[in-house]
Amino acid sequence: MRGKEIQTKDKHIQNLAKIVGGVQSILYKKEDLLAYDCDGFTIHRHLPKAVVFPKNTQEVAEVVKYCNENNLPFLARGAGTGLSGGAIPLNGEVIISLVRMKRLLSVDLENRRAVVEPGFVNLKLTQSISDKGYYYAPDPSSQYCCTIGGNVAENAGGAHCLKYGVTTNHILGLEVVLPNGEIIEIGKNGIPDQPGYDLLGLLTGSEGTLGIVTKITVRILKNPEAKQTVLAYFDKVSDASQAVSDIISEGIVPAALEMMDKTAIEAVEAAAFPVGHPRDIEALLLIEVDGISAGIDEQIHQILRVCKNRNVREVKVAQDEKERERWWANRKTGFGAMGAISPDYLVQDGVIPRSKLPEVLERIKKISEKYGLRIANIFHAGDGNLHPLVLFDAKKPGETEKALAAGSECLKVCADVGGSITGEHGVGIEKREEMRFIFNDEEIMAQTNIRDVFNPKNLLNAGKLFPTPGRCVEVKKERKEVITS
Amino acid sequence: MSLKESDLKKDPACTINSLGNYLWSDPPDENKWADCVHCGMCLESCPTYEQTGQEQHSPRGRVHLIKSVAEGKLEVNEAFADPVFACLDCRACTTACPADVDVGGLIEEARGQIRQAMPLTGWKGVVSKFFLQGVFPNQDRLHLLGSLLKFYQKSGLQKVVRKTRLIHIMPEHLVEMEAILPEVKQPVRKKYKHADVIKAKGETKRTVALLTGCIMDVMFSDINEATINVLTRNGNDVVIPQNQTCCGALHVHAGDREMGRKLAKQNIEAFKDAEKVIVNAAGCGCMLKEYPELFREDPEWRKKAEEFSAKVEDISKYLHDTDFEKPKAEIKTRITYHDACHLAHGQGIREEPRNILRSIPGVEIVHMPNADRCCGSAGIYNITNPEMAGAILESKMKNVPEDVEIISMGNPGCMLQMAMGVLKYGRNQRIVHTVQLLDWAYQKEDSLKEGKG
Amino acid sequence: MVATELLTELKSILPETQMEAGESEGHPLGNGGRLIVYPKSEEEIVNILKYANQSGKKISVIGGGTKRGFGGLTESADLLLSLANYKGIVEHTVGDMTITVKPGTPFQELQAYLAEHHQKISLDPAWPEYATIGGVIAANDSGPKRFGYGSARDIVIGMRVVYPNGTVIRTGGKVVKNVAGYDMNKLFIGSMGTLGVISEVSMKLRPLPKYESLILVSFEEGNLEEEIRSFVVRILDSMLEPTSLELLSPSLSERLTGQKRYTLAISFEDVESSVHYQEDFVKRIQPSKTKMTILQQKEAQSFWNQFYKIGPNGLQHTENKETQAALKIGVINLDVLKVIKESQLIQDSNNLLIEAHGGLGHGLCQVYLKGASEDILSAIQDLRDFVTQLGGYLVVKHLPLALRQKVDVWGEKPSYFFLLEGIKSRIDPNRILNHKRFVGGI
Repeated sequence: MRGKEIQTKDKHIQNLAKIVGGVQSILYKKEDLLAYDCDGFTIHRHLPKAVVFPKNTQEVAEVVKYCNENNLPFLARGAGTGLSGGAIPLNGEVIISLVRMKRLLSVDLENRRAVVEPGFVNLKLTQSISDKGYYYAPDPSSQYCCTIGGNVAENAGGAHCLKYGVTTNHILGLEVVLPNGEIIEIGKNGIPDQPGYDLLGLLTGSEGTLGIVTKITVRILKNPEAKQTVLAYFDKVSDASQAVSDIISEGIVPAALEMMDKTAIEAVEAAAFPVGHPRDIEALLLIEVDGISAGIDEQIHQILRVCKNRNVREVKVAQDEKERERWWANRKTGFGAMGAISPDYLVQDGVIPRSKLPEVLERIKKISEKYGLRIANIFHAGDGNLHPLVLFDAKKPGETEKALAAGSECLKVCADVGGSITGEHGVGIEKREEMRFIFNDEEIMAQTNIRDVFNPKNLLNAGKLFPTPGRCVEVKKERKEVITS
Repeated sequence: MSLKESDLKKDPACTINSLGNYLWSDPPDENKWADCVHCGMCLESCPTYEQTGQEQHSPRGRVHLIKSVAEGKLEVNEAFADPVFACLDCRACTTACPADVDVGGLIEEARGQIRQAMPLTGWKGVVSKFFLQGVFPNQDRLHLLGSLLKFYQKSGLQKVVRKTRLIHIMPEHLVEMEAILPEVKQPVRKKYKHADVIKAKGETKRTVALLTGCIMDVMFSDINEATINVLTRNGNDVVIPQNQTCCGALHVHAGDREMGRKLAKQNIEAFKDAEKVIVNAAGCGCMLKEYPELFREDPEWRKKAEEFSAKVEDISKYLHDTDFEKPKAEIKTRITYHDACHLAHGQGIREEPRNILRSIPGVEIVHMPNADRCCGSAGIYNITNPEMAGAILESKMKNVPEDVEIISMGNPGCMLQMAMGVLKYGRNQRIVHTVQLLDWAYQKEDSLKEGKG
Repeated sequence: MVATELLTELKSILPETQMEAGESEGHPLGNGGRLIVYPKSEEEIVNILKYANQSGKKISVIGGGTKRGFGGLTESADLLLSLANYKGIVEHTVGDMTITVKPGTPFQELQAYLAEHHQKISLDPAWPEYATIGGVIAANDSGPKRFGYGSARDIVIGMRVVYPNGTVIRTGGKVVKNVAGYDMNKLFIGSMGTLGVISEVSMKLRPLPKYESLILVSFEEGNLEEEIRSFVVRILDSMLEPTSLELLSPSLSERLTGQKRYTLAISFEDVESSVHYQEDFVKRIQPSKTKMTILQQKEAQSFWNQFYKIGPNGLQHTENKETQAALKIGVINLDVLKVIKESQLIQDSNNLLIEAHGGLGHGLCQVYLKGASEDILSAIQDLRDFVTQLGGYLVVKHLPLALRQKVDVWGEKPSYFFLLEGIKSRIDPNRILNHKRFVGGI
């Protein structure tokens, strides 16, 4: 918005500006770059070298080619809502922002697919096709603003992935710019099971380390005929988690099955979308079933019966779409709502076998006591994806470190009970070291080997996803490359 | 090129009240950004982010920068001023924010610092000073301007200018403005100068004071007329305190908080006897409600400001809450409603105006997608940032349904901007204030009655 | 090297009882081994692979043997690693709805076990009695219910894979949602055993449906493509949630239903009220000039059980004058109509029996051919040309070795072949596993 010409002697900046079409499409001054020093994960920060805003695949490819030839580290960024730091320019990367590639390219209802550019916002897809009765299933809580490109990179989940799966289950095809600037199409024409290794599956969730996605073919679904949402308040966490197991054992696959504990409820009630939950309950369940209308009532009755058997204090069915939306807004803004009760928070993203929930919550409580930090729990209970939110105040000396340690310990607990360290947020910078909780050196090397096939110079989003090298020789070598490049 | 804090930290400023690199009094309030966890839920709500896709032009980006100045990582300079002043102050982010971060408040405070650090110079400075300090707060000069405008219109000069295409020598965005300037009638403050109180029609149930607004009264006096009509029709005695002045919103938006305080004090005094202060301009209403923010460092006035703010009410909400009389005459028309930012996001008033419109028999309301998206008017933003304002207006107009006859709203700035949009994009909707429609319905009802009688 | 020498070398790592000499004559489907080894533990798999890797031996991997005619250019590798004896359930947590099994477990055995717990793996591969879970995953097989079920990539949550150098790699985990690191599971699903030997699979489960039914709608001759298409579009655009929406060619329909007509198989699995409700809907929109049959519960199940046996089974291969082939074709969903029609046309113009079916909700077709080998080869070529024009692909899933050497099983290499090649050479640099069984001779 300011200045009509590039005001720097840096030839890389000048050349990059030429590729993307001038001063309007590049940021390189410190004041502008500062806004790009982190994404939704704010604990680590680093300034990028520049931010470029390509308009099309060709420009992306040219920027990538330029960076590759000049050994400039680079990475792709969408809306920057990631919670694990995947878009933080740790090595002073050139950030390739894809937010201006935000078109909905085509919708083919009969063949149930849509093609979007990576900067297209998740929720907008559903909004664009909802009048025809269709929707896009993955619904991360940040769907109001996160991009589908980012969703692919992180293999984003959401509240409704219990029944419908995560992003990878809904991606049919991708156009990808490889780290050398070459453009390839995988999942050609969005046809499944293409001959060859499943690169589509591999790329999805690779956290932007294998390539930059520039076009995405997604599967869209027909709206379920009926949808019912139940809210249940419990005086005991154990009753609530037992109710979760009971619902599943009944043979019901809810579209969503969410749990919040007392501290989480306190936050959402203090924030922008209060529902009026009682403050003295220990846990609430938000349960949604959808499908054929003829079968829904039966399921709702089963759910209500299960809740009553587990000593529910109050249980109610949403009376209309407005009420349902309010319950969901309250839940979906849960992370941001932590701002209302704490200056800072750190969200973890462990996954546990559902049956281990009471044990895990008990152990998280102990961690909270040990560090003297409050921990709120928001939980995709249906699929065992637990979000402990460690509340802290970064202004207090040492508290950030304490929060990080507490978060890490929560993940250790998840790993110990046979779970995973991340269910939908990705590893990023945040959980690199915690990868060791679930993978040994050889397993990590098996993964970096794959990365090297795509990203041999490791210029693309280096330093993410994998632990800093330990014994692993292969990884050591790669660190050297980053330093020298 | 990592940013080392030691490189950037400067010697402590030798002023009191400083916060990082904010060296002047009334710096941005730390508590306001403490709630921001950088989640990004605000991004899509922000019109300037929608246009640019750039973080520094997003709410969380701006908060991040404002915070960085306090942390000593940035200085208050031109580069910082750019994103801070590109904000429309539309408050959509406040609605979107899960933690209720007051981004608008932070922006205004930051602007205050910027204007103290670097007073405006050159053409912008002159224009800004002329309007903000010379015209808006000065009733006589405003009226004079209004009279000139009136003369210009009545004399047919407007037609001449338009016909002869003289208008084309004006910068494009001013040409567009010119074309839609409303026909100026007599301001109500002039008209009712000697009336202590405008009596309710029928039994008096309540007494209210009316903020006539500066621009509103000069350029949109018919809306003030309509407001008085609907108020008296609904049993309200209306008082127009004569020593009231401009609300100061434009000054505060522009970073001139000192002027803002001056005007605030005058208005607080002017309305001190009123029980209810009725406003028909969303921007003004929002400002009046936020007067306490201006006096964070002055407890005595802060208290007065708080008492005052509690009395302020938007006309649509007031009518709605006092159970206004439903009109009986039919106005057959298709209307879409635009949420003025300072009504929807600033004051949380969304349903009340729509309910008023719905109460008029024959009115069909057509949904406008993204109705609460800023139109780009934003006070004098369309004058200071014409390119951005134009782009935002274009997006807005795309959302106006094709088949409506009227676009209704509750803010004069929006009305001008939307009228410009209608003209620019060859649409044919009329732009109308919500109370005007209600007033027309009442008038039609009366004339039908008279006709019958 | 002959079998006896291999046996001598392997004796130190595997009991002799777990080895036997391979087919002396060679198998018409190829993909055999001079020595067949039957490991019973992961450790034994590790040792076998280590041995082969170090001594430059080639290994062919086999489960139930149903897919023996799928890819591969050699008659006999050095070793045929059979996982048939490495079977059983490792862990089943009923409440978590996950299961971990050994790769040699036959699919049907697994489903029968799970049914006792009212659970199932939502997959319906061919020949479930013989096909092992490891084979189903390695070949990425799916059946007519894929529309509702998804495929192996939607079900597998974790694996243990023995790499050619003997390293055991865990991918994924035992929880249903997991994004830690690369999604390595995907790499092995459908990789035709060219990267590693799957030694354990964890999957998520679904509740057994409380009720199921199947509607068969058969269409009279006429403007089929338009009539079937508009009916299918109507179904897809409705609230119906069919688990299958499979179009059967007249020849296949004749075998399964006795009606030589294009037949649409629409199945529902849900609570009983919902299933009937959906049947009613379909009845209401039944196109004129069609015949509708509704099979409930057991009847539906037995229909499907027949269905799973329509293709050639590598295990039961017998030398015969007639050659059998199976193809997998992928196109954009509704183009399935064109493919099924085309295969019927090719049948009529050649002296072949071609039976075909395809899912209109996902675009995958299976085509089975029977006849003289020259005719089969030319039909494959014709179909491949046709499908390529639609932007799709054709893979030969079953064909005798001699013919496989004449036709490109996988079709043209993709433009990004170097990535596939790169992955293979990183993991299996000595190319010991299922050599040349996959795309581009990987």
